[in-house]
Amino acid sequence: MEEVKAYIESGILELYVLGEVSHEEGLQVEAMAAQHPAIRAELAEIERSMELFAGEHEIEPSPAIRDRILNSMLTNLADDNTFRTKAQPVAEAPVISMHAPKNTNFYKYAFAACLALLLLSTVALYNVYNRLQESNGQVVALSTQNQRMTKTVSLQSEQLDVFRGDYKLFKLPGTGKTPKASMMVAWSPVKKNVIINMADLNLPVNDAEHQYQLWAIVDGKPVDLGVFDAKLDSATMMKIMKSVDKPQAFAVTLEKKGGSINPTMANLTVIKTI
Amino acid sequence: MSKIKKISLTEEELVLGLRNREKVAVEALYDNYSSSLYGVIFRIVNDTAIAEDVLQETFVKIWQSFTSYSVDKGRLFTWMVNIARNLSIDKVRSKDFRNQNKNQELENTVNLIDEQNSTVYKPELLGIKDLVKTLRPEQKSILDLVYFKGYTHVEAADELGIPLGTVKTRLRMAIQELRKHFN
Repeated sequence: MEEVKAYIESGILELYVLGEVSHEEGLQVEAMAAQHPAIRAELAEIERSMELFAGEHEIEPSPAIRDRILNSMLTNLADDNTFRTKAQPVAEAPVISMHAPKNTNFYKYAFAACLALLLLSTVALYNVYNRLQESNGQVVALSTQNQRMTKTVSLQSEQLDVFRGDYKLFKLPGTGKTPKASMMVAWSPVKKNVIINMADLNLPVNDAEHQYQLWAIVDGKPVDLGVFDAKLDSATMMKIMKSVDKPQAFAVTLEKKGGSINPTMANLTVIKTI
Repeated sequence: MSKIKKISLTEEELVLGLRNREKVAVEALYDNYSSSLYGVIFRIVNDTAIAEDVLQETFVKIWQSFTSYSVDKGRLFTWMVNIARNLSIDKVRSKDFRNQNKNQELENTVNLIDEQNSTVYKPELLGIKDLVKTLRPEQKSILDLVYFKGYTHVEAADELGIPLGTVKTRLRMAIQELRKHFN
């Protein structure tokens, strides 16, 4: 009995109850307990004390987890083949709403939004297209105007040259049937250009079938310098004619529309010998 | 607090029911022992969410390995509380748990400190004062370390700076005092 008492007092039984012994020591304690009722009684006392001790320190877990834990155990139970209860354990499977209606709503709205956007885009595109057309028209008008302007400017710069001294001015007096007619012709010995002053034109108005034709006499022969009309309201101030080198005289005859190869001397209107 | 159990079964009936995988036994097991086990688990892990997880793991493990329990080995509670303590200690020593404690958010820390220093009346601690009066300080500290802090008796010896033999003796004395108290 001394041996048993010493064993009890060694403190191994307390460690055993606390799970603080190795596997071998555990088996030894169990063997001793099987042999000696005193050890068995001592062990029971220690266990009872520790259980009461734990009971003194008990904390009630949240009621919410009772179902969670029971479910996780019973799920296990259902999986188990050794399951023997007749009543099926009804593990309440948590039903989680998947918010399915919300999803369809989302697609509905998305589709509606797409349609609305498409409509808006079409209207916007139509407006932009109209304005583009308008702009294109303006660009064409402006470029036409610009061309006209360029022409005018180049003509006027040409006209300006007349007054810059390069040109010699000749007043062609009337002759033959038209003694009162007169006109001005400018000729540049440097550039060989010939310009007639339309503003200062004093010739009888020609009809639709006829035009006046300007001639230069070079080496005794008439050279065509182009045709022009005599109108009451002449838009251009000056008209540039064909170039000529070393003219001896300028003359104007009334010819059929488009001009003739040889001047019709009967219709000689004005002439000036240089 | 609740010394009156919710579903009353004797330990023998309970063990038999669990052997037969009966649902009512499972419920009785939970109602009889969850508070005691949770008290131990909570004191070791010191965190409600983790303690609840460990409680769940404990019950699942008890349920799964119930065939390895035999009445010859001792009381049911002893076997179960050792499962609970081992799972709690595993959790406390796991990498996750240690990292989690390192990375406490500031605002959480405030709450944690409040909780730790709480002087709020906790009904579950009722009766412990008497127990504390019963135990001598060195007996109380050894029981706390081993039972509620998850120390092995070897680690407890290191922590307290006393020989292993003394740890065993003190533990035995403390439990003797408990026995007197409960008788």
